[in-house]
Amino acid sequence: MMNNLIRISVITINDQMRQKSFYLLLAIAIVFVLLTRGCYQGDYSVNGRQVENIAVAWYASLIVFHVIAAGMLLMASMLSMGIFSRDRDDGSMVMFLSHSVDRWQYVLGRILGTWVLSTAFMFILHLAIFLIALANTGGMITGYLTASLLCSVNLLYVIVLTCFLSLFMPNVMAAIFTLGIIGISFISDGAYQAMQSEQIRQLIYSENHASLWRILYPKVYMLQHYASTLITNNAFVGMSPTYVWGNIVFYTGALTAAVLWRFYNSEI
Amino acid sequence: MISFENVIKKYGNLVAVDGVSCNIDKGESFALLGPNGAGKTTLMRLLLGFSHCTAGNIVIEGLPAGRSESRKKVGYLAELNRIPPYLSGEEYLMRHAAFCGLTGSRAKKFVGEILEQVGMNGSERKKASQYSKGMTQRMGLGAALLGNPELLVLDEPTSGLDPLGMRDVRALLEKFKKSGGTIILNSHLLSEVERLCDTVAIMNKGRIQVKGPLSHIVHGNETLEDVFIRHVEDKNSYDE
Repeated sequence: MMNNLIRISVITINDQMRQKSFYLLLAIAIVFVLLTRGCYQGDYSVNGRQVENIAVAWYASLIVFHVIAAGMLLMASMLSMGIFSRDRDDGSMVMFLSHSVDRWQYVLGRILGTWVLSTAFMFILHLAIFLIALANTGGMITGYLTASLLCSVNLLYVIVLTCFLSLFMPNVMAAIFTLGIIGISFISDGAYQAMQSEQIRQLIYSENHASLWRILYPKVYMLQHYASTLITNNAFVGMSPTYVWGNIVFYTGALTAAVLWRFYNSEI
Repeated sequence: MISFENVIKKYGNLVAVDGVSCNIDKGESFALLGPNGAGKTTLMRLLLGFSHCTAGNIVIEGLPAGRSESRKKVGYLAELNRIPPYLSGEEYLMRHAAFCGLTGSRAKKFVGEILEQVGMNGSERKKASQYSKGMTQRMGLGAALLGNPELLVLDEPTSGLDPLGMRDVRALLEKFKKSGGTIILNSHLLSEVERLCDTVAIMNKGRIQVKGPLSHIVHGNETLEDVFIRHVEDKNSYDE
């Protein structure tokens, strides 16, 4: 049973790495890392005062952490949007399911493979930044790589969501919808998180009560923000980390069940 | 070996398979004949679990069709076989071999033998996007034969093949039959069916019109084509 699951996951990684879109994303990632390198080399001054290189590197690494984590959500959505339709068109689906492979093994194998690939991709990018910072400043950014692994849960959510939507609508629409859902999470929870800061509270008077939909909405941004607190060592305010975890895990689990149910009832 | 029990498949208001019941024994070569839209491919898809029965049961060796275990000893060739364009023929067969429990050097050996049998030696490194329709079909047949299946389910196996290719495929199937394998064949080529199959079922509008050994169905000076036309035309005029 597990053999088939693992076999399909490995095949999925292989297949994804042969897609043109993967090479395009890889090229963008390499260019991005090369451009980022420049931030670590040079002298910075604010109001005529020299800023410490380590401080600059730390802030740059934090910003890049968020850019990579958010960019990978886009990549994961792009990689997963065509899994099922491509398999139907090129005969892969029939190839798997004409053997003693269960439908759930096929679906979970495809999802797992895409997740492992996306996680590895994101981890390598974060590792590259971590090493660049280390080489240029001699200082290690603690928690950077752990935070990267934590963000991989978001990738799984995005992959499952895109797969689910792609069973009902064209691939591009599924990806756009997914990005829309994530975008709302970033705007809504980002604003909520900003409201927690003392400086903003002094500027804007706010009741600071989040409406129910905001609490129940998928906490993609919150999980990423929580991961970044492992780097900054700041307290995660406004929400319990357990709730954020539970929220994303619940949505991922529910969507996986929905994908399996939908796929089980569909014609191959 | 295989039992269809009052199988019904509906797509909305359309009844694709309408109460099909029949048994196929081990070692039998069974042909499904019928005009386009008769329900032959649907029946094959139900057998492989690609589609769910609206009513009735299909059992393969005591296991309900659709359960993955029931496909363990089944080799399948789809009507228009497709291979992912980025895979070479060899990679495609190796993937099939892995799901048949063949790995490493054993898989390579089997794949090599199969490539020779289906006449694709020398083309195995080419990408599938460079294959002709006939070559894709040969590779598909090779994949179906991997892992020594006990049952071959073939949907128009000679589609896209030239006469030489057809002859090769027929020889392969005859060899498989002689080794005791069971074949379910869906074909429009009546001559192919006459040469290869022991039992024939003629389907029309989702129902089996006639089923039995070739010698029982074809009488006197009649040909299989005459029998086919008689059953299909009769039914069509009756419905009209």
